Amino acid sequence: MKQFNYTIKDEVGIHARPAGMLAKTAKGFQSEILIEKDGRSVNATKLMMLMGMGIKCGDTVTVTVTGADEEAATSAMQAFFAANL
Amino acid sequence: MLPIALLPVAGLLLGIGSSFTNPTTLEAYHLTNIIKEGGILYTILDIMSKTGSIVFDNLALLFAMGVAIGMAKKEKEVAALSGAISYLIMNTAISTLISAKGGVEAMAANTTTSVLGITTLQMGVFGGIIVGLGVAALHNRFYKIQLPQVLSFFGGTRFVPIVCSIVYLIVGVAMFFIWPVVQSGIAALGQLVLESGYAGTWIYGIIERALIPFGLHHVFYMPFWQTELGGSLLIDGVAIAGAQNIFFAELASKSTEVFSVSATRFMSGKFPFMIFGLPAAALAMYKAARPEKKKLVGGLLLSAALTSMLTGITEPLEFTFLFVAPAMYVVHCILAGLSYMLMHIFNVGVGMTFSGGAIDLTLFGILQGNAKTNWIWIVIVGAVYAVVYYFVFYFMIKKFNYKTPGREADNEETKLYTRQDLNERKASEKASEKSGTDSVSALILKGLGGKANLADLDCCATRLRITVNDPSLVDDGLLKQSGASGVIHKGQGVQIIYGPRVSVIKSNLEDYMESPEAEAAPVEKAEERPAAGAAATLTAPMQGTVVALEKVEDEAFSSEVLGKGVAIEPTEGKLYAPCDGRVEMVFDTHHAVNLVSREGCEILLHIGIDTVKLGGKYFEAHVQDGAEVRKGDLLISFDLEGIKGEGYKVTTPMVICNTDDYTSIETVAQGEITAGERILEIK
Repeated sequence: MKQFNYTIKDEVGIHARPAGMLAKTAKGFQSEILIEKDGRSVNATKLMMLMGMGIKCGDTVTVTVTGADEEAATSAMQAFFAANL
Repeated sequence: MLPIALLPVAGLLLGIGSSFTNPTTLEAYHLTNIIKEGGILYTILDIMSKTGSIVFDNLALLFAMGVAIGMAKKEKEVAALSGAISYLIMNTAISTLISAKGGVEAMAANTTTSVLGITTLQMGVFGGIIVGLGVAALHNRFYKIQLPQVLSFFGGTRFVPIVCSIVYLIVGVAMFFIWPVVQSGIAALGQLVLESGYAGTWIYGIIERALIPFGLHHVFYMPFWQTELGGSLLIDGVAIAGAQNIFFAELASKSTEVFSVSATRFMSGKFPFMIFGLPAAALAMYKAARPEKKKLVGGLLLSAALTSMLTGITEPLEFTFLFVAPAMYVVHCILAGLSYMLMHIFNVGVGMTFSGGAIDLTLFGILQGNAKTNWIWIVIVGAVYAVVYYFVFYFMIKKFNYKTPGREADNEETKLYTRQDLNERKASEKASEKSGTDSVSALILKGLGGKANLADLDCCATRLRITVNDPSLVDDGLLKQSGASGVIHKGQGVQIIYGPRVSVIKSNLEDYMESPEAEAAPVEKAEERPAAGAAATLTAPMQGTVVALEKVEDEAFSSEVLGKGVAIEPTEGKLYAPCDGRVEMVFDTHHAVNLVSREGCEILLHIGIDTVKLGGKYFEAHVQDGAEVRKGDLLISFDLEGIKGEGYKVTTPMVICNTDDYTSIETVAQGEITAGERILEIK
């Protein structure tokens, strides 16, 4: 299991488009990727749940990656967050 | 630590048997008529004594095998065999070197012994332990080894006894040179003790206890008991050397008025802590056990405590806390040393055959009379020791939360000897760490349709041979990703060709399948392909013109990253529910809404492109999160012209977020459309 925290810098947070891209990225890996905020956690591949988190600018999320390709998945997630959010 | 479980029984046999076959004892109690050498009773006692003794005599061999079994991760029987062989080889190597040097006479006195008929160095149980540990390490390293094709017969587990034999041949040679140094170190300690009075007795006691875990206490105290190191005395005109010899000579002599404490100071100290102290410690462990485990633990601790009390065999009890709470053992050593010193100070002159149990106390203390032995001090000091041991142990267990028997986590078996527990726990931790990174095994298992799909797993020289329950679940692509050069299907049989390294792959896969992760894998798979969502029909959420999704000027929608669907270029600023369902979430900027239809279809309705940037301006939500809606209910109203005036497009995509759950999402309308008309068919 690998884990990292990220504080959202994009001013409109995780709305539809970034959520879609995030889910797409997450689907590319075998590992289970969980996005957690304030004790609520959703699977990153579940687009609607992800949007439902209402993650905004300044929120800190915890990303937990568990699975066979967790190394690769984690770096991909980190890169994604840094580039898009 | 399998062999230790045998010790209480062996100890009882030896204790009772040897006490009543000791000619001195028999004479002293005028039992020579009842228990006669050659008589039935004597023979029975002698058998008890000798069968008990054989276990102790060969404890080193039992440890060589037992430790190897306990520490080996897999294929434990091979480790046991290797342990036995290695022990024999090591001692034989030493033996040969001893004869080369000129036999036992050429060695320092009391440094050699006979093990299984092999004349070798006196290494005690320690000899067995170094074999056991080394063999286990070699075994865990090599039991999966692959040798070149020509030698492949000797690969895998067959390689283990071979490599162990060679290694221990070398260890034996090395020990011949190293061990005498260790022995002289122990002897030097003995000299120190002898020369330093009460304090020396205390140190003697501490060292004797501290050597118990290594089984080297015999090496330490035997010289005191049997040689000049323990003093020499003229008894009835005969010079006697060694503490125990002096005691028994005095016991046999009619002229003895008081037993020489200068001799018994190396023995009497055992009684207080063996009869009183340690059983009280057992009671403390029992009291500290969790209520539901007390019954189980009670039996284990009681038998260990009784063994200690009666025969003075303390290892079963000491080993229960030695490994889980070494600090308690340190306290025990100090108290035990103190016990020797107190007995010395109070002039207690009680000897023993081999240890300080109630049997020996009765025979050599109580029955000799207090005038000769001062045995009453054993009971007085013992009573204090019981209290001290009880409270000290109880306090330490509670304070430091030691996992003594009956205090283990729920999933652990309650055992008297906890070293194996520890080893197994470590092994399983390691195994799961390993499988955490064992992506090849994970891939193979996934490719085979999960653990539940596997009926049988085997391998030949180059192929993994698997019988699966459902051949249709096998994914050749994944299997090839795992490094296979080919996959062959034959009915329910699957052969995956890896080449000669297949046996290692198989072992890894077997390890992996025992890890919890393998259980989780098929569940994950089930999640990935749920039964296709129930069919649903969506109606147009607004009035306007139908626009194909790929024409929407936003890549997130046009590339279908967010899911398949359709879009509408609205002519009226009103968004209606396209079906019956529940509002999952209204975006706080009110420009979009998530809806879940009754059938489970997850719908995103998104008014305009990039309109998130308007921050809610021009939008008004008419529903709240969690609201149940009917088809045609007004969800959001918006100012069409206002949005356009800010330079944003109002094209409104309606996409299915869980597109993966469906086989087809088809747009069934085009051109002008009115809210409520059929627009998407989802299957």
